[in-house]
Amino acid sequence: MIFRKILATAAAIGLLSLSLFAQDPSGGVKGTVVNRADKSPVAGATLKLRTGAAQLHEVTTDAEGRFQIDALADGMYDLVIEAPGFLPTTVNVTVNDGFVKNMFNVSLSPSVTAGEVDDSSFGEFDLDGTGYEDTPTILYDQNDVFNNIAGYNFSAVRFRARGYASESQDVYVAGVKMNDALTGYSPYSLWSGLNEVMRAKTAVIGSEISPYGIGGYNGLSNLYATPAQVRPGKRFSILTNSALYRLRLMGTYASPENDKGWSYAVSASARLGGNDWVQGIYYRSFAYYLGVEKNWNDIHRLALVSFGAPGQRGAQNASTQEVYDLMGDNMYNSNWGYQNGKVRNARNRITYEPITFLKYDFTPSRTFALSTTLLFRTGRNGYTALDWYDALDPRPDYYRNLPSYFYMENPDYNRLNPAKAAWARDAWENHAAETVHVDWDRLYSVNRNSEGGRSKYALEERHVDQNDINLATSVKWQPAPSAIITAGLNGKLNRTEYYKKMNDLLGGSYFLDVDQFAERDYSSSMTMIQNDLEYFLNHGEARMIRTGDKYGYDYYAHLMKGEGWASGKFTFGGLEATVGGRVGVTRFWREGLVRKGLFPGLDAAGNPIYFQGQLLTTYDENGEAITSKGNSAKSTFLTYAAKVNLAYSMTGGHRFYANAGYSSDAPYFDQAFVAPRTRNTMVKDLTNIKSLSADVNYMYAANGYSLRVTGFYTTIEDQTDVMSVYYDLNNSFGNFALSGIDERHMGMELGFEVPTPLSGLSVVGVFTAGEYVYTSNPLLTATVDNSAQIVYDKMLVPYWKSNPMTDGTTQKHYIPSTPQVAASLGLSYFYNYWFIDADVDYFDRSYLSMSPLSRTDYATAGPDRVITAEEAESITSQERFNPAWLVNFSVGKSWYYKRKIQYGFSLNAKNVLNKRDVKTGGFEQTRMVDNTVSKTRYYSFDPKYFYMAGANYMLNLYFRF
Amino acid sequence: MKKILYTIATLLLLAAASCQEWEPVWGNQGTPGEPQAQTLAVNTTIADLKALYEGTPYHIEKDIVIGGQVISSDASGNIYRSLFIQDETGGIELKIGNSSLYNDYKTGQWVYVKCQGLTLGNYSGMLQLGMEDPTESYETAYMDVKRLIGAHIFKGAKAAPVTPRVISENELKDALKRSYKSPCFGTLVTLQNLTYANEIFVLIYLDANVDKKESSNRLFLSDQQWGVTTWAMSANKMKEYLNTGKWDSAKIGNSNDQNYGTVADPANKKKLLDGAAAYSVSQYFRMPGGTDVQIRSSGYAKFSDAEIDPQIQKGKKVNVTGILTNYDGAAQFTLIDLDGVQMAAAQ
Repeated sequence: MIFRKILATAAAIGLLSLSLFAQDPSGGVKGTVVNRADKSPVAGATLKLRTGAAQLHEVTTDAEGRFQIDALADGMYDLVIEAPGFLPTTVNVTVNDGFVKNMFNVSLSPSVTAGEVDDSSFGEFDLDGTGYEDTPTILYDQNDVFNNIAGYNFSAVRFRARGYASESQDVYVAGVKMNDALTGYSPYSLWSGLNEVMRAKTAVIGSEISPYGIGGYNGLSNLYATPAQVRPGKRFSILTNSALYRLRLMGTYASPENDKGWSYAVSASARLGGNDWVQGIYYRSFAYYLGVEKNWNDIHRLALVSFGAPGQRGAQNASTQEVYDLMGDNMYNSNWGYQNGKVRNARNRITYEPITFLKYDFTPSRTFALSTTLLFRTGRNGYTALDWYDALDPRPDYYRNLPSYFYMENPDYNRLNPAKAAWARDAWENHAAETVHVDWDRLYSVNRNSEGGRSKYALEERHVDQNDINLATSVKWQPAPSAIITAGLNGKLNRTEYYKKMNDLLGGSYFLDVDQFAERDYSSSMTMIQNDLEYFLNHGEARMIRTGDKYGYDYYAHLMKGEGWASGKFTFGGLEATVGGRVGVTRFWREGLVRKGLFPGLDAAGNPIYFQGQLLTTYDENGEAITSKGNSAKSTFLTYAAKVNLAYSMTGGHRFYANAGYSSDAPYFDQAFVAPRTRNTMVKDLTNIKSLSADVNYMYAANGYSLRVTGFYTTIEDQTDVMSVYYDLNNSFGNFALSGIDERHMGMELGFEVPTPLSGLSVVGVFTAGEYVYTSNPLLTATVDNSAQIVYDKMLVPYWKSNPMTDGTTQKHYIPSTPQVAASLGLSYFYNYWFIDADVDYFDRSYLSMSPLSRTDYATAGPDRVITAEEAESITSQERFNPAWLVNFSVGKSWYYKRKIQYGFSLNAKNVLNKRDVKTGGFEQTRMVDNTVSKTRYYSFDPKYFYMAGANYMLNLYFRF
Repeated sequence: MKKILYTIATLLLLAAASCQEWEPVWGNQGTPGEPQAQTLAVNTTIADLKALYEGTPYHIEKDIVIGGQVISSDASGNIYRSLFIQDETGGIELKIGNSSLYNDYKTGQWVYVKCQGLTLGNYSGMLQLGMEDPTESYETAYMDVKRLIGAHIFKGAKAAPVTPRVISENELKDALKRSYKSPCFGTLVTLQNLTYANEIFVLIYLDANVDKKESSNRLFLSDQQWGVTTWAMSANKMKEYLNTGKWDSAKIGNSNDQNYGTVADPANKKKLLDGAAAYSVSQYFRMPGGTDVQIRSSGYAKFSDAEIDPQIQKGKKVNVTGILTNYDGAAQFTLIDLDGVQMAAAQ
């Protein structure tokens, strides 16, 4: 013992003396990073050694979770440890006397302990044509204590962080921005079911600058998606879920890199079945991933990856509260019915959009790296819907099928027949199948008995088929230890075809390609009712559509985009400053592929079109021919953004940082055309969307504690929105274009994890409160779909941002469909390969999506053109949803079999109090009740809602070997 | 390990247990069969049913079942929300309330009506079968509700269309005298050798948002043709007619109160153009003995904007087939479609 001490001391002295003489210090730190839940090693964890803000070393753990950093001088260091799927932590390390300090096990808390959130965690909501958008946001940053908890616990209410729309969140794969080129929507569905291989990522929040691009105000996540980034090993899981799909099977294998530098990964999954809560919902979804990568001496890397998620799933529809109450079920889905006694859904998302990319990495030195990705996305994305011609509306919850259409207590509605209302109520309350569901058998019967086999009902499939080529190159250069420069160039070419095709003639033999809404106004014109005028002119009759034929409309969206960006990160002691910017050009246009009878435009030679001596070409208010076929004007937008990030890190895991950014971005294609299905007419005065955003943050991560507090402020200006509506003012379909929509988002976020004296038990929580409001009254341009006639030209929508109340106060209007206050408090316990989590969540200040028409003087004035305070309040005020409490519970355990196979389970019980009255979203209908008795006012149609599922569970069994 | 396997097996069983949720996953629903034609025991003729009406709405409490063949079609849009059926004793209008009824009820098809719970009412000389109207605006209301229709109207076997009966001018005159008691009304008939009378009747409202009974809101086009040469008029056609100026001299207001200027007045014309809508038009025809027959067509009919054949306008005689109706003692005639207008043979 004494001998040992002496030896050690001698060695220490020897080493110390050595270090005094040699320039290379001999101290260091080593250890093993383990999962706090089960003490299993964490491979691929990143360890950053810092003094102050200056980063000295960065290493990753090996397959056994081990790490070692050498050549450290004596002193105090912060070791920041991060790993995908774990909360980051900071530990203090003191290197003394030139020793390599063995920290033994450093444990990380798994972030989302049991659940995973991906696209398939959200039901497909049927929103076509409502003008309402409800694409959920997935909070990617599992390393962030707030997003980690909020992303999982709040997904049940389709929470959107800071109230931002999903398209503002930049999602990259292998360095390429994947947000939909034409709508901006987040692209999760392209890889749903590939959780294992898409897990590794880098994410920043808010206005932070990412190493992969400048982004906007809602963060940027880059999913690596290359095989070498997939955790090596075999994994298999089987999962059942009572609120989404019955069964998920997922298998993944990733090889370690072999001696020759090759690695590969494969993954496949299937999600099948329906659930306990929404009838008619089903999944028949598959996914695959194939990737191979070659590494040449860590200098050149080439990866080829292909993945896709072919499949089909049924959608859920929103109904009015009246319908839910009649059914006694807030989860009632009107999209399905019985066919031959079997369930069939009318709204099916049928997709297969494979993505293939080739990624080349060049890392000649520790201070320079170049990365280039060529990515191609193609395939089809179809969405079925019932189509009908001169036949009863087949939708069960059509307003004329409801008791309220026959009797309302308020006699002014002119709905005065209680006996008929009683019959309707009786049918609904007894769930009479032919009333409450789609009556497929009748649709077949009508078609079969129709003259000449002409289908009166059919199932159309609306397609948005993309071809998208991307090239992204970036370089990272560290000219000095205190400076990192990143820069890149991105290019995108996109051509998307929008069309519909015949999915099913439902027992008939053909469908006629005519526009029945045009026929209503122009029944005597043979040409104006044609969807394909050229076919009619050539054949003398409308085209007969068979299964698989395109019909109705067909056009391309063309988009070209180029962008350059650069950022520099500079460290001065504990201070870190990052500045960055981007400049780009976006250009898009529409190309009509068919000539529509209503808007023939000019022929190829530029001459008006005649039929039997009659002029068919129509002209707009400027004398320009209204054109359905050929290229529209090409719109070009210059886009740019600038950002500054400042951070100050103190020893002990404290970090203060602030971010600010300004951006000016192009509007999206889908908001740029008044009625893209029928004509080239663009929204007037289309302009860039401007946003200004800032946030200040404090973060603490050390010794099992994790905390982040953020305050944020964002303004977004000059947004546009277009929608197709049926409006009663002239009993026709119309197009609304809203321009000049401004928003302001401000609020705070808090996330924390605090260990308790009881080993393994921590308290975790998040809280966010904000005010996300509209700050402008936009302008509404309304046109009649059949004639392009302008009903309103840039009319002010005076009640958009607020409305007067009868008591003289003013009520603000809020960004809808996400709680503006949300909190979660829970306990998390790990012990001997067990984990138990319980949390209580609270949501409040969630609002209904508004109809612009209901915010106009037209709606408030009513037939007598007199606006009363009572009318203004009842029509223009915005509904606020009731607050909601939820309780969730999770438990899991894993075992080792012969130290080789790890297996385990996790069970999540969600909403255990079985709350079934929590609205997650909804929208107002555009229509108004206009045939009132008094002729003094209108009434709004009832809004439609989506509700959260009641008590549900998810059970996952997994094997890793 | 065994436990885990058992759990998996249990899970799979659970999944399969609810077969219904898997039906759309497999998607092999198959083609539904045709529903069976129903036959009800008829215990009352249409004439006997109509005879129960005695001047006020008759609520049917007895177990009355009538049967008849469909004689109308709303395919052209001229008949709307109603179905006419006819047996050997007469015809009646069933106020079903749905649009596009021709998809479900084929011409000639047998239809049975369980009348118990329905109401028999009179509309300007025509008997109709529908629901009780609690507002008493009309003697009957449309049925409208799917479950209500399903409880009363039954689809029977398909059969050849009913042959229209040729009605002489004397029979027509007699029927008009008997009003709703005549078995002719509501049946499929042919009237022969009619000549165009160059006279229309239309009632137009200047502003749909103002009380329709207000005299100042009403424009009658009557006693002459007013340039209206189509069977009816859609909203676009109405604008066209207004812009020809041929209505300019027409006075606004009820016939005893024409104090609101003429169509030519800019304010009136603007209102009319802004509020243009589809309107039904009665085109007058005359039987050889001088009896007027108004062929009344809907502005929503697909043939509403079709020109009346110039030869007809010049006086060529026609035979018309359709449903004979009565409007307060005047003969009205509802075309099922334009095939119901044929040039009379020997001219």
